[in-house]
Amino acid sequence: MTRRVPDWLDERSGYRTGLRHLLDESLPPGTGWWFTLGSVLLFLLTVQLATGAFLTLYYAPTPDHAYASVRFITEDVTLGWLVRGLHYFGASFIVVFAGVHLLRVVAFGSYKRPRELTWLSGVAMLLVILAFALTGYLLPWDQRAYWATVVTINIARSAPLAGELAASILRGGAEIGALTLSRWYAVHVVLLPGVLVLLVTGHLFLMRRHGISGPIAERPGPRPLFYPEQAARDLVVILGAAAVLLALAWRGVPPLERMADPTDASYVPRPEWYFLSLFQLLKYFPGPLEPLAAHVVPALAVLALVLLPWLDRGAARDPRRRPIVMGGVGVGVLAVAVLTALGWRDRPPARDPGLLTPREIAGQVWLEAAGCATCHGNGSVAGELGRAPLSRPPFWLAAHVADPEVIAPGVREAPVVNEREIEAIVAWVRRLADGDPIPEPPARDRPGALVFARFCVGCHTIDGDGGDDGPNLSRVGATREREWLRRWITNPRDVDPDANMPAFGRQLSAEQIDTIAAYLASRR
Amino acid sequence: MSTDPRDSRRRSVLKTFVGGVAALLGGSLAGVLGAFALPPRGREHERWLRASLLDRLTPGEPFTAVVSVPRDQGWYRERGQDVVFLIWDGVADVRALSATCTHLGCRVRWARQVGRFVCPCHGGEYDATGEVVAGPPPRGLVPVEAKIDPDSGAVMVRL
Repeated sequence: MTRRVPDWLDERSGYRTGLRHLLDESLPPGTGWWFTLGSVLLFLLTVQLATGAFLTLYYAPTPDHAYASVRFITEDVTLGWLVRGLHYFGASFIVVFAGVHLLRVVAFGSYKRPRELTWLSGVAMLLVILAFALTGYLLPWDQRAYWATVVTINIARSAPLAGELAASILRGGAEIGALTLSRWYAVHVVLLPGVLVLLVTGHLFLMRRHGISGPIAERPGPRPLFYPEQAARDLVVILGAAAVLLALAWRGVPPLERMADPTDASYVPRPEWYFLSLFQLLKYFPGPLEPLAAHVVPALAVLALVLLPWLDRGAARDPRRRPIVMGGVGVGVLAVAVLTALGWRDRPPARDPGLLTPREIAGQVWLEAAGCATCHGNGSVAGELGRAPLSRPPFWLAAHVADPEVIAPGVREAPVVNEREIEAIVAWVRRLADGDPIPEPPARDRPGALVFARFCVGCHTIDGDGGDDGPNLSRVGATREREWLRRWITNPRDVDPDANMPAFGRQLSAEQIDTIAAYLASRR
Repeated sequence: MSTDPRDSRRRSVLKTFVGGVAALLGGSLAGVLGAFALPPRGREHERWLRASLLDRLTPGEPFTAVVSVPRDQGWYRERGQDVVFLIWDGVADVRALSATCTHLGCRVRWARQVGRFVCPCHGGEYDATGEVVAGPPPRGLVPVEAKIDPDSGAVMVRL
């Protein structure tokens, strides 16, 4: 009775023969742990395909919704943070295992005749994986994504001959925007998976056709079958990889910065770690030499990989008898490792999440004064404060603060705010949108921050926010006394006849000058 | 193939291991993705929304108010429109009725000549208090909470 359904199925599909063909692959004697890497990659690719397919349930590939939809996946969808984490870290795992798999094939001389096509399909898959990484990077539409893509497209543009054409194809329009995002999305979720599935199928077919290459030195003995011994080895390594991946996705949150802002001139883009070596290489080839690092070196590296089976045609598989290939690959690996390490060390300092800038402190105060909470409260007519920056660029927010009527007619009168107050309110709302815990600034900083954000921030910077016409005042208290600052702000030429800064003695009340002088003196 | 019993026991342990791990991995992935696919909890909350100004209402005469309703659909925020009837007693009490027919969800309208709410779809009719008087509707029109905001003189409804 229990066999009737399988028998029925087998009679009609022949699945038992198919399964036996799949599992009873005859292996060379001595096939061991080194030959599990391909299976790990197959597993990881399956995880990417599955998590990726499910992420599209919620993701929206348009500039005004992409970022908000990714935030929604991370914050609101059941296990969304985990699925996104698996997809994000899974990509890194694939790059790592693809690299190790490739090195194993090189070390064992497995690319040699008759397996040249297997090798070529593998190299093609490596390039497809990198294309996946590149296109997937843009999709969250945060600052990282946007600016890294700006750099990528400009690199493509600098290519000789067809650079401009390549860049316009990558952009999909005159500039990076909606057309770029939908194009990269289509490539990432439709085209590349199709190509990858074809390549994987071809790779596996060729692997079965020629049999796996096995240990470097042929061993005597009976040929074991893939199932269950080698299958068990595969699954031990897969289980290990899955456990580490799960731990990473569980503990580590994939980065998501602020929504892409094409007007932000201060953002320093950085690529994902597996492109850091190329990123670092660019720094050593300035000006006219740049195409050398951007195009010639990577192209030569790919060419060397493609041609490897024909550059090394001898029958010997022992790495000790192939010093040129092993040396060349060793130098390549070392170069990538060193450049990656250097690129890693060169990263800019991260913003201290425990700090509120003066502008944010002032924004909090002015937002309250402007009465924004009347409409933007939990359950009120308008959205919660701090939700708008998920889908709106800063200039939209500024326009809305200046005149809410434009966006929501008939709701309320425009609050009386000036330009500096608007900027501060926008800074504060964007800070709320970050979703990080908000520190409580010391109460004594508040009056000073208000004056600073109103009168000083255009020319001076504190804690990384402000203009750069005047000196950075983050630590000015370490070198200047309160009384000196008071005199200077009132009229700088009283202190130094050649001073550039305008006098504020008339614009500010004596009390305001005293407040800002005390605040600045406290910044040590 | 060897027929050594120890070898065959070893093979059966390995087979169990392979089957178990494959089921564990496949099951976990399916479980996580299944939970992920469930509709997430919305941020939707009921709100008091402005439906009209009291000045525009006539005592005893249902007033058709189109209310702009913000709706959060995950990451997407939309302004929908709902229609409610406001009925003022002429003093301090405003009642509100949903304009959705309880039969199959068509939009009913106030027919002043006959003094009834009439559904255009299947001939359902309700009296001025929302009770069914004719046709197929199973229940009266659904009441909506309403109040007058004393400061602004606006009629607020809870949707």
